[in-house]
Amino acid sequence: MLKDFFLLAARSITHRKMRSWLTVIGVFIGITAVVALISIGLGLERTIEEQVAKVFGVDTFMIMHEDTFGPQRHGGDPDEFTLDLAFLRSIDGVKVAAAVRERTGFIQGPPGNDGVSTQGFLPVMGLSPEMRTEFESFFGTLEVQAGGRLFGEGEELVAILGDEVVERLHASVGDTLVIAGDTDAELSFTIVGVLAPSEEDESDGGGFSGGMGPSQDTIYIPFETMDLLWGPAEDVLITLVRTEPGKDVDEVADRAEKALKARGSEVTAVTYTDITDTIGTMTSTISAFLAGIAGISLLVGGVGVMNTMFTSVLERTKEIGVMKAVGAKNSHVLTIFLIESGLMGLVGGIVGTLFGLGLSAVASSFIGRFFNVDLIVVASPTLIIITLLGSFFLGAFAGLWPARRAAKLPVVDALRYE
Amino acid sequence: MPLLDLKGITKEYKLGKTIVRALRGLDLNIEEGEIIAIMGPSGSGKSTLMHILGALDTPTGGTAILDGQDLQQLKERQLVTLRGKRIGFVFQTFNLIQTLSAQQNVELPMIFQGIRKGERARRAKELLSKVGLADRVRHRPNELSGGERQRVAIARALANDPEIILADEPTGNLDSESGAPILALLKKLSTDDGRTVIIVTHDPDATAIADRIVRLRDGCVVEEVRNA
Repeated sequence: MLKDFFLLAARSITHRKMRSWLTVIGVFIGITAVVALISIGLGLERTIEEQVAKVFGVDTFMIMHEDTFGPQRHGGDPDEFTLDLAFLRSIDGVKVAAAVRERTGFIQGPPGNDGVSTQGFLPVMGLSPEMRTEFESFFGTLEVQAGGRLFGEGEELVAILGDEVVERLHASVGDTLVIAGDTDAELSFTIVGVLAPSEEDESDGGGFSGGMGPSQDTIYIPFETMDLLWGPAEDVLITLVRTEPGKDVDEVADRAEKALKARGSEVTAVTYTDITDTIGTMTSTISAFLAGIAGISLLVGGVGVMNTMFTSVLERTKEIGVMKAVGAKNSHVLTIFLIESGLMGLVGGIVGTLFGLGLSAVASSFIGRFFNVDLIVVASPTLIIITLLGSFFLGAFAGLWPARRAAKLPVVDALRYE
Repeated sequence: MPLLDLKGITKEYKLGKTIVRALRGLDLNIEEGEIIAIMGPSGSGKSTLMHILGALDTPTGGTAILDGQDLQQLKERQLVTLRGKRIGFVFQTFNLIQTLSAQQNVELPMIFQGIRKGERARRAKELLSKVGLADRVRHRPNELSGGERQRVAIARALANDPEIILADEPTGNLDSESGAPILALLKKLSTDDGRTVIIVTHDPDATAIADRIVRLRDGCVVEEVRNA
C-alpha cells in the first residue's frame, strides 16, 4: 500500500512540474550549502590529520610543559621542567628521544688576519643528532655544504654554523669559535660544517616545525653540550619520542608522562591521537557552526515546501473528498501528503548533495591553491545518507501541518468544495 | 427487513448564525436490489439525504439503519470501512483524479482496501471492459468524453463490489445521448447484479429506469410512486 501511496504522491508532484521544481530549488540551495560546508570541513580535517601523520608519525609523541599546546620556549623558570633525555630513553617502550633547546649566547669568532675576532650575541640551538636522523620530517632537513660534516652522537664541542653566521664571524670549517652562556663557562667549539642553503630558507624556515627548522642565522651544537653553557635543560623547545615497533604509543606516552612527573617535571605527553582529536574538535566545531548558518536557508526551503503543500491541499480538496468517499482513511490521506512533501525534500536533497559535493571539490581546489596544500575532497557515504534521509524528513516535517489539515477535512465539506 | 431504513431523519447545519434544517423528519425504506430515483427541487434535501445514505454524514436526529446497523452508532473507522466496501459513489462531476489513468482511477478504492496490484489491475480492466471502455484503460480523464468519464466513475464505484450504488445526478453533466447509456448501465447493475441503486436526479429519463420514485420537498418525502 505504501508503494502505491509513493506513486500517487509522485504523480501529483510531476503533474505540477513548475511549482514542484521551484519548491525543490528552495530545499536544494540549503542542502547544497550545508553539504558543501560539511564536506569542506571534513576534507580540511582529513588533510590536517594526514599532514600531522606525515610530519609527526603515528608512533611518536611529544613531551611538553603542562598546560601548553604547541612548541614554545620555557624561559628557564625554576618551576619549568628539566629534561633528562637519558632517563627518557630508559623508559620501557621508548626507542628514540630527541630534543631541541635554544638560547642566545655571546659568541667570539675566530681571529681574522689582523688578529681581531668578531663578537656578538647570536642564537644557539642545542640539537639531539636524532632530531635530524629520526625526526627529519618534523625538524626539516639539515644539510651542510661541501667540505663540512654534521655532528654525531657522543660529540661535544662541535658546531655547525648557518651561512649568515659564517659571514658575520668570517669563519670557515675547521676554525674555532667561543660561546659563553649563563654559567661561567666559556667553551671553544670546532666548526665542522656550514649549513647548505635550502628552499625553506626562502620561506619561513620549515613547515610544521614552526620555525625550528634549519635557520641560517643560528649556531647548532649538540643538545647535551647546552648543559655545560646554560645548565640543565629548562628551556626545551620540543622533545620528540618514538616508540619501539609494536608498542602502543598512548601507553608508552602515558608511562613516560607519569615517570617524568614522578621526578618533579611538570610535563604532559601529547600523541598523534591527542593532536588530531584537538584539531578534529576544532574543525568540527567550525564546520557545525558554518553548517548551522547554512541551515537557515534550509529552514526557508522547508517553509517553501509547507507553502506548496498548503496550496496543494487547497487545490485538491475535492480530490481528498473523493478519496475519502471511496474508502480512504484519514491516515491514508495524511500519509500520501506527507510522502508528497517528503519526496520534494528528497529530490531537493539529491540535487543539493550533488551540487554541494561539486561545490566542495571546486572550493577545496581554490583553498588548496591559496594555501599551497592538496586539500582532500571528502564525499562521505555517511554524510550523503544522513543528508538524503534528513532532506526527506525535512520535507515531510514541513508538510505535516498541511497534511494533517487534509486528513482532517470532513468528507462532505471536501466534496462540496468548489 | 429493508436494506436501508430511515425513520424521522433530521439534519441541521449551521450557516453562520443561521441554522439550516435540510431534513425534517424524513422516513424512507429501501429494499435490496431496488432502483430508487430521488427527485425534488433544489434545496429539498436530496444531496443531504444521499450523504446520509452513503455514510458520508450522520443525521442530527432520527435513526438510519443499514442492514441492521445503526449508522449513528458506528465509529468513523467503521463508517470508512462501510464506504469502502459496501457503498459505491457516482458523482455528477465525475470526480476522477486527473493525474491518474482510467485504470488507476478504478484501482484507487482497491488500494485503500489493501488489495494487491495484480488483482487490482485484473479487476479494474474487467470493470472498464464491463462499462465498455476496454480500449480506454490508459487514457487520462482529460482524454475521455463526458460519457466515458462517467463510465469510468461507475467502474470505480464497482471496484470493491459494493451492494449499494449511490449516484448523485449521474447524467447532470451529460447530454441525453451520452446520458442514456449511463442510465442503462445503472439499470443493469440492479437487474443483472442485484445491487441496490439510488439515483438522486432531476433527469426525467432516470425515472424511467427506477422501480420507485421518491419526491422530496422541504426535507420531507412528499410522494412515493412505484413504476409499473
